[in-house]
Amino acid sequence: MNENKKSRPHVPGRGTLLAEMVFFFLGFFLLALKDGKWESFVLSVAVPAIIYVGTAGISHLFPSDRLLLSLTNFLCALGVLVLYRLSPSRGMSQAVNYGVGVGCMMLCAMLVRFVRNWKWLTVLIMAGSVGLLALPLLFGRETNGAKNWVSLGSYSFQPSEVVKLALLVSVSYLLSQRKPLIAIGFGGVCLLMLMLQKDLGTALLYFGVVFVLLYAATGSIPLVIGGVLGGAGAAVMGYQMFAHVKRRVAIWLNPWADTEGAGYQIVQSLIAIVNGGAWGVGLGLGNAQVIPEYYNDFIFSVILHEFGVVFGLVVLCMYLFIIIRAVMIARRSRTVFHALLATGCASMLALQTFVIIGGNIKLIPLTGVTLPFISYGGTSMLCSLCVVGLLQGVASLAKAGIQEDRELAMQGGEAP
Amino acid sequence: MSGEAYELLALLMRYVFVVIGALIVFRAARWMLRDARAYQKEIKTLPDAGLVGEMVDLTTDRAQPLPREGTIGSSRDCDIRVKGPNVLRHHARFEFEEGKGLKIIPSRRGLTVLSGVEIRKPAYALHGTQLTIGNHVLRVRLFAGLNVPLPARYPEPDAILEAAEEAVPWEGMNVDAPYWLPEEQAAQAVPFRRDQGYDGNYDEDGQMTWQHAYSMEELRQAQAEQNWIDSQAEEEEAPPAQRRRRRGRRE
Repeated sequence: MNENKKSRPHVPGRGTLLAEMVFFFLGFFLLALKDGKWESFVLSVAVPAIIYVGTAGISHLFPSDRLLLSLTNFLCALGVLVLYRLSPSRGMSQAVNYGVGVGCMMLCAMLVRFVRNWKWLTVLIMAGSVGLLALPLLFGRETNGAKNWVSLGSYSFQPSEVVKLALLVSVSYLLSQRKPLIAIGFGGVCLLMLMLQKDLGTALLYFGVVFVLLYAATGSIPLVIGGVLGGAGAAVMGYQMFAHVKRRVAIWLNPWADTEGAGYQIVQSLIAIVNGGAWGVGLGLGNAQVIPEYYNDFIFSVILHEFGVVFGLVVLCMYLFIIIRAVMIARRSRTVFHALLATGCASMLALQTFVIIGGNIKLIPLTGVTLPFISYGGTSMLCSLCVVGLLQGVASLAKAGIQEDRELAMQGGEAP
Repeated sequence: MSGEAYELLALLMRYVFVVIGALIVFRAARWMLRDARAYQKEIKTLPDAGLVGEMVDLTTDRAQPLPREGTIGSSRDCDIRVKGPNVLRHHARFEFEEGKGLKIIPSRRGLTVLSGVEIRKPAYALHGTQLTIGNHVLRVRLFAGLNVPLPARYPEPDAILEAAEEAVPWEGMNVDAPYWLPEEQAAQAVPFRRDQGYDGNYDEDGQMTWQHAYSMEELRQAQAEQNWIDSQAEEEEAPPAQRRRRRGRRE
């Protein structure tokens, strides 16, 4: 028996995966005990199963980063748990989005792994992105001051979420080909269209990502200074031009001035966080539904309310590890394009997480972006998982490269 | 389940959730550290990981590791950095392509010469190819075992000399390398035949080997000859007054 134990290969992260599966089994089982619905019992088995397939299954298919998969799956499943507890229909819908998202993640990883020539694909992606961003301007509907949603029958989506991926791929490719002017031009066109849609939160993300990528590709200090000045100028201009920006800044400065009106959302969020305390009020015992947009923009406040600030720090650590891991993947990648792509993914996730969590805890003015992996919404979930898919593709190529080097070294092919 | 019992259970479970969450974070942190250490260790055992060879600057005798793709130029962000007159900040880009060699993509403004032929469009450098950027001559050395084709075999030195004499007005110049090979001649270069052999960089079976690459001594000697040729050419091109002044200074 001991021999069997010794001969079994060590799979890193097996314990972490088991802990995650136990966490969600207990979470959904607890909710099932409360409401006694069969859906809750099904989810208590189905969600750990999706986590297992999404972590161990994918890493069996091709060399991937298991740690990144593991943490991503935990956050996605946490989103499903929190949403199911507050609104079962949204929770079920999010579980479906999560399953589809795992498939999209694999597709993106395969795309990065197998596509060798990105030139024409990038041209197509750029043209498609401009077309997609034009859709809300022509047929969009206005939500919370921004006209960034498009409805196709009963289905509605946010084109700017999809274009995020396109922006990452195309700007990384253009910069790897030493075409910074075209990259800046494309980024500028996207920003302009977002400004016309008044979607300033996403515009901030786009600006940040293009700026980080430009610095990573060129290492130019004047560019950093120019970018900071340009960003500050654009922020001042946005503040002067758009009334809803002025309103949000005023709410951020003093939400208690109008607790029943404009400041209601942020005030309820802060009260929910304080009520939760260090350990939370307990899963299923809170009343976070009073926060408007609790399922979307304010989902982190809901987590703090029900699970507590200590658990909130655990979630923040997970985001931090995902970002560090993405940077490590960028450092290990073999080509400039892949390094920039991974850097872009890392900066996108970092900025998005900072902007929305900062907004929730009143660190910065609130902007309408989603919390990656957790917030409710098909487009957001799919795009966040696609970003992880791009990272997985880069990681798998880096691993394949190391394997190739190892084989060459074994054959004595390396330089003396 | 009754409301009170559920409340009690949920209050208890919140600690369990925090403990499991903290356990996951702890394990993830340990996993990440171990992985980083293992990677560093592996990279130490594979010092050429991620590299496809090196570029030896024959002008300065300095070898620089050659990544899979990057830029050559005088800027700090270039992967192969060469400094000197006529070298642009980003002079040329390169990409290694499996089975083809090192693709050199010249910039529009700079002069890039590959094996004696000025290139305006992307061209492939093979193992042992000389690349001239500004006044720097770089030799591309690709690791053995990588599947790239063998370089074209150039005509015998006499034929090169004849071709060079026709192409350039200099007379009696000692042309001993395919450095001055005119474009037409380069296009007609005969593919390498293994049975005829090729000096350096190949073993007895005609396979490229790292071990048979030119030694630094040979490269230094070639460079000394090159410098002598350059100085002679400079002397010839200089106006008579300047030539007299130089001679006077030497005396």
